[in-house]
Amino acid sequence: MFGGLRDRLQAARTRLSGSIQAAAARPQEQPDAPAASRPAAPEPQVVPQLRRTATFASKVKTFVIDRELIISENEIADALSELEIMLLESDVALPVTDAIIARIKKDLVGKHRRIGQSVDSLVVQTLRSALLEVLGKGFDLTSYIRDHGHPVKILFTGVNGTGKTTTVAKIGDFLKKQGFSVLIGAGDTYRAGAIEQIEVHAARIGIKIIQHQQGADPSAVLFDSVQYAVSHKIDVILADTAGRFHTKANLMSQLEKIRRVMKPDLVVYVDEAVAGNDAVVRAAEFDRTVGADAVVLTKADMDSRGGAAISIAHTIGKPLMFLGTGQGYDDIVPFSPEAVVEELLGDA
Amino acid sequence: MLDSLSTSLKDALKKLAGKSVVDRAAVDELVKDLQRALLSADVNVKLVMELSKAIRTRSLDEPPPKAMSVREHVLRIVYQELVRLIWASTDVKLEPQVILMAGLQGSGKTTTTAKVARYFQKKGLKAGVICADTFRPGAYDQLSTLCQKINVPCFGNLQEKDALAITRQGLASLKDLEVLIVDTQGRHALEANLIREIIELNQLTKATHRWLVIDAALGQQASEQARRFHEAIDIDGVIITKMDGTAKGGGALSAVAETKSGIVFIGQGETSEDLERFDPDGFISRLLGMGDLRALVERAEEAVRAEDVDINAMMKGKFTLRDMYKQLEALNKMGPLKQIMNMLPLGNMELPEGVYDVTSTKMVRYRIIMDSMTNAELDDPSLINSSRMQRIAHGAGATPDEVRELLKYYKLMQRTIKGLRGAGGKFNMQRLMKRFSGMQ
Repeated sequence: MFGGLRDRLQAARTRLSGSIQAAAARPQEQPDAPAASRPAAPEPQVVPQLRRTATFASKVKTFVIDRELIISENEIADALSELEIMLLESDVALPVTDAIIARIKKDLVGKHRRIGQSVDSLVVQTLRSALLEVLGKGFDLTSYIRDHGHPVKILFTGVNGTGKTTTVAKIGDFLKKQGFSVLIGAGDTYRAGAIEQIEVHAARIGIKIIQHQQGADPSAVLFDSVQYAVSHKIDVILADTAGRFHTKANLMSQLEKIRRVMKPDLVVYVDEAVAGNDAVVRAAEFDRTVGADAVVLTKADMDSRGGAAISIAHTIGKPLMFLGTGQGYDDIVPFSPEAVVEELLGDA
Repeated sequence: MLDSLSTSLKDALKKLAGKSVVDRAAVDELVKDLQRALLSADVNVKLVMELSKAIRTRSLDEPPPKAMSVREHVLRIVYQELVRLIWASTDVKLEPQVILMAGLQGSGKTTTTAKVARYFQKKGLKAGVICADTFRPGAYDQLSTLCQKINVPCFGNLQEKDALAITRQGLASLKDLEVLIVDTQGRHALEANLIREIIELNQLTKATHRWLVIDAALGQQASEQARRFHEAIDIDGVIITKMDGTAKGGGALSAVAETKSGIVFIGQGETSEDLERFDPDGFISRLLGMGDLRALVERAEEAVRAEDVDINAMMKGKFTLRDMYKQLEALNKMGPLKQIMNMLPLGNMELPEGVYDVTSTKMVRYRIIMDSMTNAELDDPSLINSSRMQRIAHGAGATPDEVRELLKYYKLMQRTIKGLRGAGGKFNMQRLMKRFSGMQ
C-alpha cells in the first residue's frame, strides 16, 4: 500500500537534502575575515531556533566558529512546496498536509547543522519524527483481548461500502486462529443481502452468528449477541453494523443507541484506504458522535498511496489496528507505525 | 451535498467581487483559493494545476469582451474552465440497450444497478437486471430484494460460479426486455484476472454502455483506476455515488476527465429513487450558487404529474397551510427539501438550517395534524388560538406543543419562500455579481 508514498517521500528527501547542500556550499566561499574581526560576539547557538532570518555575519560566524550551518526558510521553500504536492497526490488531506509541512519547516528552519553531519540523516530524522508523530502508536488487538475481561465486545462502524462486513469476517478468522472463541452479531439489518453475506462468511470460517430478520432493531440483535456470549463464555464478540453517513442524524443516533445497549469495549472505525479528503471529515464526525478507539483501513491493495492512513490518524489521533489488503480471509495485516515509517524512509 | 466546496468557491469569488481593482495579485489570490478548494475536494492534483494555469493565463491575457467588466470576465473564465473540467454529460437514450456496470469494491454498484433499472422503468421501458457477482456472499440476495421492491425482473443463479455463464443464461432468459443492466463484482485495476473477466463480459454482452461507478469519497486514486478500466473496456459514462455524504466527488470528476466520458447519474441516497441525471452546466451553476432550474423542472415534472401542485404557487407569495400540505405530499416524491433548494438560483444566500430539519417522519406527523384542522384554519393559520390548538392536538393524537412546532415551521417556510421571490432567472451574471458585492 505504501509503495507509492515511499517513492514520493524519497524523492522529496533528495530534494530537501539538495537544497540544504546547495545552501551549504555558499558560505564556504566566504572569507574568514568578518568573523575574525569580531571574535567576542555573543553565543549564536542560544537563540537561532526562534530566529527566522539569520544575518549574514552570524551565519558566517556560526560557520567559522562552530563549523555549523543555519538552514533558512528560503533555501527549503521550493523543496517543501514540492513535498506538499507529493503528499496531496498521495491522498493526504489538505489540512493534514499543511500541518506536516509546517512541522517540518519549524523543525528544519534555523537549525544548526554540523559540517560533518550528513544532510541526509537530518532530513530523514525530521521526516521520520513528523510521520511518527502523526501515525501515533499501533494497536495490538490480541494483547488487548488477553488483558481484558471476557467477552470483549467490539463494535464496527463506518460509512457505506467501506468493507465493514468483510473486515468483521477477516478479524473473526484472525482471532479464531489465535485461539479465541468468537461470535459475530449481524447488526446490519438494513441493507438487503447483508445478513446473508455475513452468514455465509461465518459459516465458511466456522464462527457462530446471532441474527434477526432484515429490518429488525440492530440494538436488539447485538444485545442478544452479548447475552449469548456471556452465557456461553465466548471470548470476543464482533458486532457488524449497517453503513451510515455521518450526515444522517437519525442513523447516527441509532448507532448511539447501539452503543448504549451493547456497551462495547472497543469501537472500531472502518474506512477505505483510497478515500480522499472526505476521510478526515467523516472520521472526525464518527469520533465525535459515537467515539472510535481504533481504526481499520480496508482496500489497501488498490495501489493506494496510504495518505488516508496519515489523514485519519492525524485527525482523530486514534491508532490504526489493521490494514485490509485483499478479498481473502487472511488478507489482513496488523498495523505497526514504526515498520511503516521504516519502510517509507528506510534504505534509499 | 457539495456545500463546503460550493462555499469555498463562492468565498473565493466573493473576495474577487469585493476587490476595487482586479489586477494580477487579485487573480493570483483567486487562483490560489480555487486551488485549495478543488484540492480539498479530491480533484486530481495535476488537473488542478492545469486548471489554475489556464484560469490565470486567460484572465490576464485575454482582453475582456466589450460591455463586460474585468470582474465578470474572470468569473466567466472560471465558470467555463470548470465546465470544461467535467466534460459533457452523456446522453441516456430511451431505447433498447445493454448496460455493463463496473467499479471498485464497495462503490455502490448493486444499489446503483437497481436505481438505474428504476430510472428506465419510470421512463416507460421494460428493464431487467442480471447479477453477475458470483464472489460476494449475499450479492444476489441484495439485488433481488431491491428489484422485488421496484418490480423489476432479476436474473441470478446461486449454483453457477462463472460470471460469464450466468450472464449468458441471463441474456437468454431476459431477452424480451428492452433495457438489460449487468451488475458485476467489485474489482480494482490491479486484479488482472478480474479485469480479464470484465473484458470477456463486455465482449459477451456487446454492451451498449459501460458505466463506471465511483464513490464520491474516492481520492487521488480515481484517475489511475479510471484510466485502467477505460483501457480495459472503454468506459463511456461515470456514475458518482454517495453524494449525500460530505464527500465532494472531486475524484470522480478526475475520473471523468481521464476517461473523456461524461457523468451519467449522481446517486445520493439509499432508496431506489435517489438517482439524478447529470448536467455539467447545471452542476457548476449549482456549485457556484447560480442554481439549476432545468434539473428542478425535470424532477418536478417526474414527481408531481398526478398531484398537480403548482411549483410557482410557492414562489408567488400567498402561502397557506393548505399549500404546505400539498407541498409536503409532493416533496415526499421529489426528494429532500435540501436537494431542491440546491437547484434554486439563490446566489450565496444562506437559508436557515432549520428549514431542512424536517425529516420524513415529521412530515407525516405534520400532515396528520393538518388533517385535524378545519378548512378555515388551513386557509388562515392566524385563526388558531390556544383552544383551537387544544382541539387540533386532541383530534390528531398529538400534543399542543407539536401543533405549535408545526406552526413555527410553517412561518419559517413562509419567510424563506418570501425571500426566494424575485431570485429567478438562470445564470444572470450581472445580478449574480451584484449579489456577491452586495454581501460585502
